[in-house]
Amino acid sequence: MIGDYLPILFVFLLAAGFALGALGLTHVVGPRIKTRVKLSAYESGVDPVGPTHSRLNVRYFLIGLVFIIFDLEVVFLYPWAVIFREQAAQGPFILYEMLFFLVVLLVGYLYIWRKGVFEWE
Amino acid sequence: MSNFDSLAYFLPELALTVLIVSLVLASVLLKSDRDRIVWIISLAGLAVTAVLLAIQPATDQSIFMGALAVDPYSRFFKWIFLVATAVIIIASPYTKQLDGSQRHEYYLFLIAVMFGLFLMASSLDLIIVYLSIEIVSIGSFILAGFLKDDPRSNESSLKYVIYGALSSGVMLYGLSLLFGMAGSTNVFEVQAALVVLPEKAHLTLAVALLLILVGFGYKISMVPFHFWTPDVYEGAPTTITAYLSVAPKAAGFALALRILGTAFGSTGDLNIGDWSPVPGLAFGSVIAIFAALTMTVGNFLAIQQNSVKRLLAYSSIAHAGYMLMAAVILNGQAFGAIMFYLAIYLCMNLGAFLVTIFVHNRFGYDEIDDWKGFGFQAPLIAVPMGIFLFSLTGLPPTAGFIGKVYLFSVLIEAGQYWWLALVGILNSVVSLYYYARIIKVMFLDGEPTDETVTGHPVMTGLILMLTVPVLLFGIYWTPLMGAVQSSLKFFTQGM
Repeated sequence: MIGDYLPILFVFLLAAGFALGALGLTHVVGPRIKTRVKLSAYESGVDPVGPTHSRLNVRYFLIGLVFIIFDLEVVFLYPWAVIFREQAAQGPFILYEMLFFLVVLLVGYLYIWRKGVFEWE
Repeated sequence: MSNFDSLAYFLPELALTVLIVSLVLASVLLKSDRDRIVWIISLAGLAVTAVLLAIQPATDQSIFMGALAVDPYSRFFKWIFLVATAVIIIASPYTKQLDGSQRHEYYLFLIAVMFGLFLMASSLDLIIVYLSIEIVSIGSFILAGFLKDDPRSNESSLKYVIYGALSSGVMLYGLSLLFGMAGSTNVFEVQAALVVLPEKAHLTLAVALLLILVGFGYKISMVPFHFWTPDVYEGAPTTITAYLSVAPKAAGFALALRILGTAFGSTGDLNIGDWSPVPGLAFGSVIAIFAALTMTVGNFLAIQQNSVKRLLAYSSIAHAGYMLMAAVILNGQAFGAIMFYLAIYLCMNLGAFLVTIFVHNRFGYDEIDDWKGFGFQAPLIAVPMGIFLFSLTGLPPTAGFIGKVYLFSVLIEAGQYWWLALVGILNSVVSLYYYARIIKVMFLDGEPTDETVTGHPVMTGLILMLTVPVLLFGIYWTPLMGAVQSSLKFFTQGM
């Protein structure tokens, strides 16, 4: 019973071993040049020191939402493409399914375009 | 049924999808008069959906490979959602509170929420359960915060998001426990696995039920998961408050009764009338405690309220408690009583909220004391309000009385949980106090005047129209009960 979970233990060990190994190896063999910028906390390139209640540009969120539209498209297109040949032999329904999905996303794209999300200035 | 064949049974939902997409297009492409044109498109789309729902063919198979049911039970609830959405959309242009907001996007979100409600009523799969609740929630979050310039509306939206995220997270954990015990997300396969569950797993089963009840309880505002209700109801635009207190609550009951009844039932068949939980689960006692808490807390907090909107919010918690009372037994009779009550609750609660909108439009106030003399100024509106409030209390000869009789008779005929019926009756007496207080302020306080107040004829017409079923079903309720009885047919795997 518990033996069935042995592979999971191996995966854990492998993951931990890889993480520790990679970190340790760079520590031992990697060259180190310390600059002020490199030692600062990593905050996606934004200066991490300052008032905590700073305002974020709304563009961050808009880009996030636009990203979802294009990203979701690809996420669903890949598995669809994998089974396309097999399913298309039974009829064109699989094609219409994806076309409908793309049209709905296209409407979302049209919406953000008309709302002026792409106007950067 | 395969995905392609399922489409023929999915036409009402497809019509709503097309409607949503065309509303998005209309709201960005139209140059002028957007609010009015989008309003007309929405109503036309709802009419098409209603026709498609009426002619929807019957099937004894589930659609989309076991994901959704097309049965009379779900169809009954879909009619409730259609009526509620239509009333709210018709009333919205005449709500002054919404002036200055982008009404065309507001209709879009209402229709999107309604699409989610349709899925909630017919879901048969734990993934669809979660997905449909989220579709409804996300739309409701936006609608609650629709008055962008009103800090209270913003606050209500944010509170709603935080509570919604927390409770759906907890529910998801409960659903994952069910999946862990059954190895499937299909409710019928979950049920088959739970019946033969070894005794040592019974504690896990109880934990799973409690965690799932957090999510379902949040949707129907069951105590102790009700904390969001008063704040959200108070801050949201009144039309949305009316909608949230009726439609998602009905959907929450539809979903909870079907999923809990099927997954935790000793047989997966809800058609046989009798119901008992899977071995090792004290289902009735758990629901009974929640029901007693819900009505008592809702009623006693409603007493202290001075804002009519907040009072109706607490009273809607209490009404969820009355309906949960019947869910303790969960036989065919209980299903019927809850569905009957929800249909009546739709009319009386929407009516009471529409009157609140009317008063707000005309006078711009919300405190009970400000309603002084309203009965003399606008008898055409105040008398229906009196009828709605009497019906909410459950006094004869209104439909609310008949609804409550059916709810109580479930417990009394089952001969169990006498204490719960007693708690329910005492609570009805408590509720008389705060409902009658509004009536007293309207008709007894203040001086008779010759000054009359009239609103837009559409609002007056809607309010009077909602009075008809509340009075009619209080005297002659056979047609509604007949509709409920014929809707008590559930999809089962064996059918």
